[in-house]
Amino acid sequence: MNIVVDQGKCVGAGQCVLAADDVFDQRDDDGLVDLLDAHPPAERLADVKHAAAVCPASAIAVSE
Amino acid sequence: MSIDAERLTLPLPRPNVLELAPLYEVLRREAPIAPVTTPAGDPAWLVTRFEEVRLLLGDKRFGRSHPEPEKASRVSTAAVQDGPTGEYATEEADHTRMRRLLTPAFSAKRMRKLGDNMEELVDGYLDALVAEHERTGVVDLHHGLAFPLPVAMICRLLGVPEEDNEKFASLSERMAGTEIGDEAQRAREEFMRYMVGLVEGKRGALGEDVISDLVRAQADDETFDYVQMVRLCVGLLFAGHETTVNRIGLGVLFLLTERSRWDALVADPDGRVDAVVEEVMRLGAPGDLGLLRYAREDVDIAGVTIQAGDAVVLSINAANRDATVYSDAEEFNPDRPERTHLGFGHGAHFCIGASLARTELRVVFAALAKRLPQMRLAKELDQLQVRATLTGGVAELPVTWRSA
Repeated sequence: MNIVVDQGKCVGAGQCVLAADDVFDQRDDDGLVDLLDAHPPAERLADVKHAAAVCPASAIAVSE
Repeated sequence: MSIDAERLTLPLPRPNVLELAPLYEVLRREAPIAPVTTPAGDPAWLVTRFEEVRLLLGDKRFGRSHPEPEKASRVSTAAVQDGPTGEYATEEADHTRMRRLLTPAFSAKRMRKLGDNMEELVDGYLDALVAEHERTGVVDLHHGLAFPLPVAMICRLLGVPEEDNEKFASLSERMAGTEIGDEAQRAREEFMRYMVGLVEGKRGALGEDVISDLVRAQADDETFDYVQMVRLCVGLLFAGHETTVNRIGLGVLFLLTERSRWDALVADPDGRVDAVVEEVMRLGAPGDLGLLRYAREDVDIAGVTIQAGDAVVLSINAANRDATVYSDAEEFNPDRPERTHLGFGHGAHFCIGASLARTELRVVFAALAKRLPQMRLAKELDQLQVRATLTGGVAELPVTWRSA
């Protein structure tokens, strides 16, 4: 799996952190997305896809 | 049922505080973007289908400001989300600056860390309610829990004295009032004066709180208008408690009006509370309108042309019950396969307090299920006093756990 995040689009909603906090975090200084793991194992796919789907700014792209 | 060729007038009357007007179902199917007359008597577009509501929330051709604010349609006689706000020319930059300033203070991680603190607070409120119940047999969860928790949390985050809660709660209530005419506008002005007093009182001794952060940022940035800063503080204090107070009330009603829903949560509070909270966010439908936007240019969508300057009311309530998106859309079912909803909005204006609200709701519903498993409503749903405000909800939540 490969994940790309766009900090320019991110609005700091934190939805991705709720969906998969082992993969996404929010930076302390500005609250924007911090990608902890760009290549998580395949069994995390459902949660990562959910994170991308609920991102209000469509700032997460996932490819398998 | 079909739609009259004439313009509909909002609000569409609803059967009770938990259900929506049946007409929304027809609108979603036959006229997902319909011309309507607002409660203020002005023309607007009402958007009811999930797809279009989500699309327009994320579309930069729609904003909160208007090039000629005095000519803009007004959607409500309340003094919140009633008309355009902000400067048309600088709206996006102003909004981006605001998000940058506020996002760290409301991040998911920080809100989770407040969870333990919230649990202690909620335990204290429940102790007091249990003691009262021993004397009276019936207690009001609205005054004893739904109101004080969000108020205490937003006061701590913003740096507002908690002892002012009656003052700002009453100002919020009047500011959002839909049946009090100009009184709502007067309440907004009074709220602004209250906030100016608070801001100026802090200025000499700024602390670690959101209002202090905003005062510092405004002092350091000459493009950051003072009135805009004060208005933002008012908005945060208003939205930071009003919305969650209502949502706790609606959630309790969904759970207690159908015993099997409550029993399922009681059986496994920690395992089920997250899904319950999301379903309360999806199905809870506060207020009768929706989120307000103005078109910044002409937009063709769903068979209509929305012209630049037109007002658009995005019905989150209707979108979250769209049968083309949700199976048994009107049913309260935390186990549903669909995991998304628009309860916190979408796009650039996505609720900045979403993680705060989720944490509060989880703590409240888990604690209620653990400590008061026998709880039931002490009044019929139809007898509960509904608030005549833009954000709706109930003014009382009488419950009992006496053996019947």
